[in-house]
Amino acid sequence: MSRVSFNCTMQEGQVDDDTRALLADGLRRVAQETLGESTDDVSVRFSDIPNGFGFRGGEPSTTSLVNGRIVGGVTQELREEFMRSIIDMWTATSGCSVNELVVTAADA
Amino acid sequence: MPFYRCVVPKDSVPYEQRAQVAKAFTDVHCGSTGAPRSFVHVAFDETDSAQEPTYFVDGYNRAGRPQELRDQLLADLIGAFREVTGVSSDQVSGRINEGPASWTMEGGMVLPEPGEETAEWYEHDERIESGLAQAAAGG
Repeated sequence: MSRVSFNCTMQEGQVDDDTRALLADGLRRVAQETLGESTDDVSVRFSDIPNGFGFRGGEPSTTSLVNGRIVGGVTQELREEFMRSIIDMWTATSGCSVNELVVTAADA
Repeated sequence: MPFYRCVVPKDSVPYEQRAQVAKAFTDVHCGSTGAPRSFVHVAFDETDSAQEPTYFVDGYNRAGRPQELRDQLLADLIGAFREVTGVSSDQVSGRINEGPASWTMEGGMVLPEPGEETAEWYEHDERIESGLAQAAAGG
């Protein structure tokens, strides 16, 4: 079982396959650089919400959700640094705005 | 946050009803908690179950609200779902799980604990709503 896992949920058509590969690499890199985890211990899974099936504020959604699970016991300061690094990487790689991204770093 | 996932039988809830449910859930959640509208995420997950059709509302919220409010919130969400879809009460159930607000960043900001929302956070959320509206308009 991986020490860090990411379940990334996106709206269909928002992120192509090439970008997903870059995002997966980026998530592994962030886990290594901020948490000190080996990239071999990081799993990444992507899933899509089909068009017409995802809403935000009652309107069709363009938001991606990155649900991370990490080994517990980290400080809130490190947790926030981890989430901010994900946001920076994700927005730079995908071109989405920070407003279209929700990141969670939960204790496994 | 919150996230509400509606698990429904395949092809049982058309787009118009999904959009109505999403709006109704947003109304219910914001009416109960005072949260901004752009805070509320709703998704639908279709199943191929061959069993008797059942519907499930699976919620995830910030932890820290009184149990009474959580129970009422779930009852109101299920009521709204039934009102839009016409599903009978014995076919739909739900639950709301919770997690610490500090584990999530939305719009680049750590979520506040329930009851600790500041004016700055509401202003931040208004900017999110404005940004999302611009994106939707292609601007």
